[in-house]
Amino acid sequence: MIETKELTKRFDAFTALDKVSLHVKPGSVYGLVGPNGAGKTTLIRHLAGALRQTSGEVLIGGEPVFENNAVKERIAFIPDDIFYFMQASTRDMMAFYRGIYPRFNMERYHALKDVFKTVDEKRNIRRLSKGMQKQSAFWLAVCMMPDVLLLDEPVDGLDPIMRRQVWGLIMEDVVERGTTVLVSSHNLRELEDVCDYMGVMDEGKLIFQRSVTDLQENLVKVQVVFEKEDTQLPEGIEVLHREKSGRIHTLIVRCSPQEAQERLGGLSPILLDTIPLSLEEIFIYELGGVERGIKDILL
Amino acid sequence: MIRLNYRDSRPIYEQIKDNLRKLIVSGAISAEEKLPSVREMATKLAINPNTIQRAYRELENEGYIYTVPGKGSFAALGSDMSRQRQEELFQKLEEVAVELMYIGVAPGDILAHVEAVVQKEEKKTDD
Repeated sequence: MIETKELTKRFDAFTALDKVSLHVKPGSVYGLVGPNGAGKTTLIRHLAGALRQTSGEVLIGGEPVFENNAVKERIAFIPDDIFYFMQASTRDMMAFYRGIYPRFNMERYHALKDVFKTVDEKRNIRRLSKGMQKQSAFWLAVCMMPDVLLLDEPVDGLDPIMRRQVWGLIMEDVVERGTTVLVSSHNLRELEDVCDYMGVMDEGKLIFQRSVTDLQENLVKVQVVFEKEDTQLPEGIEVLHREKSGRIHTLIVRCSPQEAQERLGGLSPILLDTIPLSLEEIFIYELGGVERGIKDILL
Repeated sequence: MIRLNYRDSRPIYEQIKDNLRKLIVSGAISAEEKLPSVREMATKLAINPNTIQRAYRELENEGYIYTVPGKGSFAALGSDMSRQRQEELFQKLEEVAVELMYIGVAPGDILAHVEAVVQKEEKKTDD
């Protein structure tokens, strides 16, 4: 649904995006993580058709986005810094978007008054708090009935209850209408809930993208104690990282928990525990270990 | 109905699975009762629908639930399911017993304790 091919963007001498080839399947929720300045926002702005690439392709549903209204009608974009017209209230903005988005759903707009009841639709949006401005943006965005929803740091400024409600709304759209969502965030924990695909960016490059299921099934932490100190691990087990404290070996192994149990169980260990890894740990090991300072990328 | 613990390092689909399994085994969701739809769960918990789908699929494979296309998922009546649960619980019991022996409890005391529990439960059902 969303695809970029070797997308490169230069601002004068600075390369903001370097041959980014991103692929998001229809109906999936894709999480984009990376440190400040990695190029997440620039990438999203290309997908929204707000920036023109230096080279490469940006496709939504197989069509180029830039200056293409037919495609843009199907995209809703909530940027990090939300833009509104001077003096405009949520209701004014609704009237404006209704003119642009042919699928704008008035019924939904009214129904959602209940969810966003703290936002006064008649009040100047610029006078609202940051969190309420975000709520107003979400309210309008979901009413556009988009096929593609682009969210840049979407829940920044929202309280925990509102976060949940907003994500609930989006998940409903994902199930019901197969909406494709691309979301950037610093909060891995939060992305773990909602995403089924993840990409990691650093210094303008997309260094890694994979499905969450894949990530979770392929690495496992094993704690094991052997009877004999010099016990060798069986052939063919890929160990990404090992630590030893006393007799306890802690291994990060590339296989499923069941497989680890079976293969290491054969060595009749005194203790054998498999522990699932958090998404953060998975990234750290997948991306080359603690040593390479990957930790900093994920914070 | 389902509570996710964000400090838990288990993947979310596994938490959902364990939660539902507990509800079914304990009878909180009775046999033939309809489970919340994927859509409801995804919306309420704010979780990716694929994650929920995966938990349901695995529960179905394990025989705890069955799915009627177009209608939803239902808790199964299964003898299969109790057999599997039985195995799991026996394994747990084994772990506990081993640990008790390790810290020096006499095997007789362990057996006596188990018997006492059985008698207590039987008395409860008699009343």
